[in-house]
Parts: sequence; C-alpha cells; structure tokens
Amino acid sequence: MIEKIDLKKVEKQTYRFTFSDGLYDMAYGCLLIFIAIAPILREILYPSYIIFLILPAPLILILGKIYITIPRVGIVKFNLNRTKSKNKIRLLIAILFPITVVMVVLTTIGIYNIKVGGYIVPVGAGLFALIFLSFIAYIIDYPHFYLYAISIGLGIPLAELLNPIFGVPLDYIISFGISGTIILIYGIITLIKFIKKYPTPKEEISSVKG
Amino acid sequence: MSKGKNNIIDDIYTPNSIDKLIHEPARLNIMTRLYVVESADFLFMMRQTGLTFGNLSAHMSKLEEAGYIDIIKEFVGKKPHTMLKLTEKGRRAFDDYRKKMKQFFNEL
Repeated sequence: MIEKIDLKKVEKQTYRFTFSDGLYDMAYGCLLIFIAIAPILREILYPSYIIFLILPAPLILILGKIYITIPRVGIVKFNLNRTKSKNKIRLLIAILFPITVVMVVLTTIGIYNIKVGGYIVPVGAGLFALIFLSFIAYIIDYPHFYLYAISIGLGIPLAELLNPIFGVPLDYIISFGISGTIILIYGIITLIKFIKKYPTPKEEISSVKG
Repeated sequence: MSKGKNNIIDDIYTPNSIDKLIHEPARLNIMTRLYVVESADFLFMMRQTGLTFGNLSAHMSKLEEAGYIDIIKEFVGKKPHTMLKLTEKGRRAFDDYRKKMKQFFNEL
C-alpha cells in the first residue's frame, strides 16, 4: 500500500487541483477576446480602451478565487519551492504582462511607427509572447499555459498575415477572437462543473475546532 | 524458538511495529495530503480526502492529540480561519512509517 504512495504525484495532484476551477482559462480567454476587439474598442474608447485589455483577466482571477473557489474548496499553502516559483512569476507577470499587452496592441495597430518592414515586428512579438508564456507554463507547472502561449504566439503574426485579406478589425477577430472564445467557453464549462461538484458547504467550517 | 530465529524475526518490521495511528487509511490519507503542502484549511482537507465533516474532525483530533498536526487559528479578512499543518513530529512519524512499510514489503 505505502510503497505505491508517490508523494511527488500527490503534491502535483494537489497543486493542479487549485487550477480545476477554470478561472485561468476564463481570464485568458477574456484577455484574447479583448485583444480581438481592441481595434473596435480603440475607435470608441481611445485611449482608455487599454484598461479593458489589462483589467478583466486579473479581476476574473482575484474575484473568482475570493467569491467562488475559496468558499468551495478552501485554502492551501504550498511548500517553499512552489511559493518561491509563484512569487517569481507574479513579479514577472506584474512587470511584463501590461507592457507586453500594450506593446503588442500598439505595435500591431500601428501607433508605434517602427521602421521595420514586413513581418519582422509581428513575428518577433509573437515569438516573445510564445517564449514568455511557455516560460511561465514551465515554472508554474500548468500545461494550459503552453496552449495560451501558442494561441497568442501564432495569433500576432496571423493577424498581420490576414490584414491584407480581411482588413481591420476582422484580422484581429479571426486571429484572437476564435481561440479566445474557445478558451473562454472551456473555462466557463470547467467552472460550472467545478461549482456543481463542489457546492458551498452548509457547515460553518472556516473556524472549526480541531 | 532459538536465538538465531529471534534475531531474524526482530530484524523484520512486522505490522505490529508500525504506527497504527498513521496506518488507519483515513488518517494515512490526511497525513499524506498534509505532508506535501505547507498547510491547508479544514475545507480543503475535506475536499482532498473525501471525508465528511464529522469524520475528518474526529481523525484530526486524534492526530492533534498525538502531536502530529498543528491547528493554527488565523484571520482571512475579518473571518477567523483554521489552518492545519503537519508538525515536525508528524513529519518524522510519517517518514518513519513510510520507511518501515517499505522495509516490511521488501522483506516479504
């Protein structure tokens, strides 16, 4: 019995369980959808449309964890190695995420008039996003982030490629909107399953006596 | 029984020499879950182990009495919150239990 207990596997299962609420998928799907409609939002809400790119994803995560996940499955603190990795990623995301989103959108829309022709800028931006998100996926040990990396890494050059054919905003909607909608729907379905599987407990157990 | 035979038997870890407090399946499950994390609250342990409120509470009390787990009261926002953590004694007991069980099965 005991020789079959693989502690690393148990730790990994416990860690992955914290992602089972679908909130990361919803947040990322939402981000992609807002990137997809960024050219439209820019026309209507310039320059405050940037808020729509930066705020919804963290809001979904923070509010979702506070009001949906924690009341249903409680709180866990992982060991120091996991915590250190997460803190590094949080810092990295806090610095690079807003910069990346703003740079990618502004560059592709053409506000930055960079004197580099062809596909160098979108391919470079796509590659940067691909490497950045893959790095996060590796450190936080959450495979869905590889999918996120691919969706945005391919989406940026694809938007540039589709621009001469479909024009703005269809190029963005096709490149990011489709993958964003699929990821968002997947996240919502996962969240619904999560809520059904883990209803809010009736007992007051947050202050339980041991 | 000869002295030589006794030595052989003494060398083998029989099920009697293992920690029965940990050996109970529900408590082994609790100890394993707590071993791999820093700490977790009661609800998280309920979800992870699949135990009911009453069952988990009873097992937790036994483990706390043995000094294997610490019950930490803290505040999350303004609400009191109970976190459960394996003590050093609990970690050592779990390591020892695993070692003995492995040895027992190896020598079968």
